[in-house]
Amino acid sequence: MMLALNPMSGIQRLTLLAVAAALFFVTFELIRKRRLREEYAVLWVCTGVMILVVAILPDILFIVAGWLKLSPEVMMTLVVILFLAAIVLHYSAVITKISDRMKGLTQELAFMRDEMERLRGELKEAQRTQVDPKPKPPSLRT
Amino acid sequence: MAAEAQPERKLSRVPDLAGRRALVIVPAYNEAETIQRVVRDLTRHAPWADVLVVNDGSRDATAQVARQAGVKVITLPVNLGIGGAVQTGYQYAYQQGYDVAFQFDGDAQHRARLLGPLAAPILAGQADLVVGSRFLRPRGMTASGMRWVGIKMLSALISAAIGQRVTDPTSGFRAAGRRAIELFATEYPQDYPEPESLVLVHQQGLRVGEVPSTMRRRLKGVSSIRPFHSVHYMAKVMLAVIMDLFKAPVLVKREAV
Repeated sequence: MMLALNPMSGIQRLTLLAVAAALFFVTFELIRKRRLREEYAVLWVCTGVMILVVAILPDILFIVAGWLKLSPEVMMTLVVILFLAAIVLHYSAVITKISDRMKGLTQELAFMRDEMERLRGELKEAQRTQVDPKPKPPSLRT
Repeated sequence: MAAEAQPERKLSRVPDLAGRRALVIVPAYNEAETIQRVVRDLTRHAPWADVLVVNDGSRDATAQVARQAGVKVITLPVNLGIGGAVQTGYQYAYQQGYDVAFQFDGDAQHRARLLGPLAAPILAGQADLVVGSRFLRPRGMTASGMRWVGIKMLSALISAAIGQRVTDPTSGFRAAGRRAIELFATEYPQDYPEPESLVLVHQQGLRVGEVPSTMRRRLKGVSSIRPFHSVHYMAKVMLAVIMDLFKAPVLVKREAV
């Protein structure tokens, strides 16, 4: 088996290293500033690790491309597309979860507002009729 | 003679509740123009049932008009769509211990006098969810063109999925018994709730029934199923229904009442 079919030039590897470093830095900074949760950072860290691996050991890219009988350029493009698709799919799942929770909260809020209005009405009625405060609070519907 | 027959006819429309409580869930989104009519229809022809209007984040006076008409209103602070609004009604029915809950559109296309026959299979213990079908008897409504084809295809798919003939899977005129109320309070489909809920009910081991029913033409507004979009709609619904067949079962959480 041939190794290093078409090794990358030094400048290409340096560029990839810089991209990986920038990605790590931005992800780290966003987490540090609490603008990105670790849960969603995993994918970005994985992306950075992948770029780093290719920068340090570019042979891997060419060997795998050889196995799959693809040119390295096509394989790299495919990998990137699949990765972006995975990220979008992940976000669709996150949106589903969030909208389910939002629905639950909206319903709960509607019931609580209804309950509050009922209790407020009862309180007003009690004050209006000058009835002594009840020994126990008004019954809560469950 | 006609005068004698009339009250009897009316009486037969009143279901034999035998102490059980019924709630009519009216989901309403910007229905200020029709909601008063709907409530009047309900209080006149179905006085044996309580009414709950679920105001689905309307931007018009739906809630005020309904309250003035003398019924209970629960307002969702943001618009959830028909699925979320109807589920809110089922959650209320569950919390308040209702035995039968109806779905009744806020756009006045459903008829309150048909609620009694709709509840009959549930009160008789024959079904957990009953759908009022427009197509069950010959004089029933016929949909036009593509829509007819779409509904036929969808009912064939759902009938096959639940192993029982269903003629009007998109009808939103329904009655639910205690077990269906409990299920829907926990899990109710959001995308295409009418057809999908039939599959859900069947998967949870509950029984589906259908009774013949008629509906009025819409007073205002358009069907959520627009003719030009009906092919697209039906394709999406069918895909959703097929996916439902593969979904993991729902665990209905029972709260201590």
